[in-house]
Amino acid sequence: MTQDTFRRWLGSGLAAALLLASAAAASAQSEAELYEAAKAEGSVNWYTGLVQNQVVRPIMAGFEAKYPGITINVTGGRDNDFLTKILSEAKAGKLEADMTDGPSVFGPLKDAGLAAAYHAENAAGVPDQYKDANGEWTALIVYFLVPAINTELVKPEDEPKSLQDLLDPKWKGKIAWSGEMTVGGPPGFIAVVLSSMGEEKGMAYLRELAKQEIATIPSNPRVVLDQVIAGQYAIGLVTYNHHSVISAGKGAPVKWLPISPAIGAMARSVLIAGGPHPNAAKLLINYLLSPEGAEVIREANYIPANPAIEPKEPKLKPENGGFTAVAPTPEEEKQDLQKWIAVYKELFQ
Amino acid sequence: MSKAGDLAARPGRLSPGWFNRAGRGLPSAVLIGVLALLTVPPIVVLLDTSLSDEGAAGYTLRHFTGLFADPRFYASAWNSLLFSTLSTCLSIAFGGVLAWVVVRTDAPLRWLAYVTAVLSLGTPYVLHVAAWLFFLGRSGPINEFYRNLTGEAGVLLNVFSLWGMVLIQGMLWSPLVFLLLSATFQRSNAEMEEAARMSGASVARTMWSISMRLAWPAITGMALFVFIRNLESFDVPVLVGSPGQVYLLTTDIYLSMTEMPPRMGHASAFSLLLIAILTVLLMFYNRFSANADRYASVTGKGYRPRLFNLGRHRWLGTAVVLVNFLLVLALPLLVSLWIALSPYVQPMRLSALKSLSLENFAIVLTDPHYLQLGINTVLVAAGAATAAVVLAVLSAWLVVRRWPGGRVVEQLAAIPIVFPGIVVGVALIIIALNLPVPLYGSLTLIMLAFLIRFLPYGMRYAHTGILQIHHELEEAAAASGASQPRVLASIVLPLLLPALASAWVFIFLLGANELSMSVLLAGARSQVMAVAMFERWSSGQSVEVFALGLAWAAFMTLLMALFYGAGRRFVSIDRGQQA
Repeated sequence: MTQDTFRRWLGSGLAAALLLASAAAASAQSEAELYEAAKAEGSVNWYTGLVQNQVVRPIMAGFEAKYPGITINVTGGRDNDFLTKILSEAKAGKLEADMTDGPSVFGPLKDAGLAAAYHAENAAGVPDQYKDANGEWTALIVYFLVPAINTELVKPEDEPKSLQDLLDPKWKGKIAWSGEMTVGGPPGFIAVVLSSMGEEKGMAYLRELAKQEIATIPSNPRVVLDQVIAGQYAIGLVTYNHHSVISAGKGAPVKWLPISPAIGAMARSVLIAGGPHPNAAKLLINYLLSPEGAEVIREANYIPANPAIEPKEPKLKPENGGFTAVAPTPEEEKQDLQKWIAVYKELFQ
Repeated sequence: MSKAGDLAARPGRLSPGWFNRAGRGLPSAVLIGVLALLTVPPIVVLLDTSLSDEGAAGYTLRHFTGLFADPRFYASAWNSLLFSTLSTCLSIAFGGVLAWVVVRTDAPLRWLAYVTAVLSLGTPYVLHVAAWLFFLGRSGPINEFYRNLTGEAGVLLNVFSLWGMVLIQGMLWSPLVFLLLSATFQRSNAEMEEAARMSGASVARTMWSISMRLAWPAITGMALFVFIRNLESFDVPVLVGSPGQVYLLTTDIYLSMTEMPPRMGHASAFSLLLIAILTVLLMFYNRFSANADRYASVTGKGYRPRLFNLGRHRWLGTAVVLVNFLLVLALPLLVSLWIALSPYVQPMRLSALKSLSLENFAIVLTDPHYLQLGINTVLVAAGAATAAVVLAVLSAWLVVRRWPGGRVVEQLAAIPIVFPGIVVGVALIIIALNLPVPLYGSLTLIMLAFLIRFLPYGMRYAHTGILQIHHELEEAAAASGASQPRVLASIVLPLLLPALASAWVFIFLLGANELSMSVLLAGARSQVMAVAMFERWSSGQSVEVFALGLAWAAFMTLLMALFYGAGRRFVSIDRGQQA
């Protein structure tokens, strides 16, 4: 028995030592060394749910121009679509994915043992709440999910100012949200309501909200916002505030509302353990955290996690926009996501 | 060698007993082997997944008991039944009437129906559905007109309802029904219709009592077929039904698959349940079609399809063709074009005209990535269509002509009819990942999935086609000493060619726009068009998706025009030989 305990202790100690060693090795690698190693790999397979024409294409152009000889292959779609792919690839040990990002991808990848530790050189300046202490994820982009309105359908004096205003009977059947069962969708909204109002009052609020017959659009929040712009719905409940800014810039009749609390989420990048091009993936993550990469993200009107680069529209951030945000941590998500989904199913499905 | 000796040397003539016992068994055995390899593994994988406790070892019935314990299961089942029945009726009625008008009558503008069907099939589904939703939706022209007319703030039509779903699904399937049924009508003998007309029957009476009756096995087969597809379809139920909180069985699967982590066991259990239901339906159909011999109207004597003279009712036929064109093609394309030219999805208004530009098309047409996507897609769809048609014609012939093992061949080839696409995708991923050969993430895997799923479609064409060729033709050939392969090559294939060509084009078009399987199977380096469109659609690039979809539809149209040109040359040669 004692021998067994000793062996287990030795095993975990060894694992920890190895982890530390690999983390140290990873951070010790300079950008030039990383580039050399990545060039030998030639490409990187990036699985991402980011909107391609808004931000993925400029990122690809920027990265490939800075690091000739390395191409990015993008597999897009909704987070759950490519997550399913990565998990089944891993099951048979035939991983194609090198790197991924998304609000809720970390948990399942961590559970499957696919989240590799990587302390990117450029992650040093990223605030602690935007990165994992063990380096298993680092946020690239910060998100705030808020209600948005069609300005042709909602008169300025009717604009909801608070969550309570959404219960007004005149919005019945005119509110939509996405079908993403992640923190970036209805479960995230439910989580934030329950944590800010408390279980009892929160549930009472959600029960009232359910009477509004909210339409679930089986897509991501960008599609919900498009339907709001098209006038199919007056209010999109859980939408990215920067998407409204991008569309309004093109003349679309849309506006996001600084209603507190917003859902805080982030594109958490994860280096896939065992992917075919680990160095190219590290190079990409490091690039996205660099001032240069963050500049590309900023130009696309997204909010870089790198605090040195402010978003184009400063009001997108709570401290400048006059709203508060609650961001569920990966731990809370792991513990409670199923509960939030259950509430969604009970009240809204 | 003398002619008599030559004839005597043929086995069919010399010793039919030997041929029946050994020679006829072998082709069946080979086919059974191939079909079993294609259709059985997905079931095994489903069974395994449905009984596995995710993450844990051992087996469980949890997924099945969970399904039956949920009261929503029964509500969804009722919705599914209603939805499938009504949309089947709509597409059969609409597509059937259209097929009869186009194939059997002399109404002007009939060619438009083929153009409509082929173009409509060449247009990605996501475009159709999105266009219909936009057109009938809250901000669409109909509701906008209603609001302007009445000053009300509400809507006249709520498209996110069962009726909206039935309408869109029915329209989506009517081109397929049209193509399948027109092949049937083409093969039916006009003599009986003419006899009815000469005996004084009206056009309607003739159509009902002769044309429809003769096509009855084909129509019921088709109805069952479309019903099954409707029962397992998930795009319209999800895109149209779930925002309106109309849930179907497939919506439940889809929703459970998009949860994190996806509930594969639940979906597999559901699929097996569907397989059980549909197997019962298929057995019923097979018993029914076993005595379909009396419907064979293409016989050895005087077979020449002639057009039915509508006389002064010709305009009515043209009206049917025109309505079809407007609803199935013009409307979705027009709406798509509007969105593709817009900077963002905006209502159709005169005041918005100035914001239109070609920017989205410029992006789509200058991106080299899309060229590779197009090549991949054509390769995969063409490969799957060719393989499926070859397999289907061999299988159908063995089945209809009652070769040994024919029943087994029929059952095996019919199995995939009950596979929802998304489940074929899941099953093939699991299979590919466990094979030693590097299939995962390759285009071959997608092709294989298409072959499995679309084989029953090829069978449907080949089966109804062969049913209508009376066996006396083949018997005459065999009696003259032709071997069985020769009978197949010289008698069956030439007569079947129009049906097979339709089958090929049909499967090719389905494959070129297939999504539910390829979305799971496409890897980083094996993307196809529909997947690229879906990914951009679901991640919110709808205006670009519409531009891409239209460019793709234009390309498919060009391709179809080439096929048609080649086909016409071939058909005219064929006619020359007949005359």
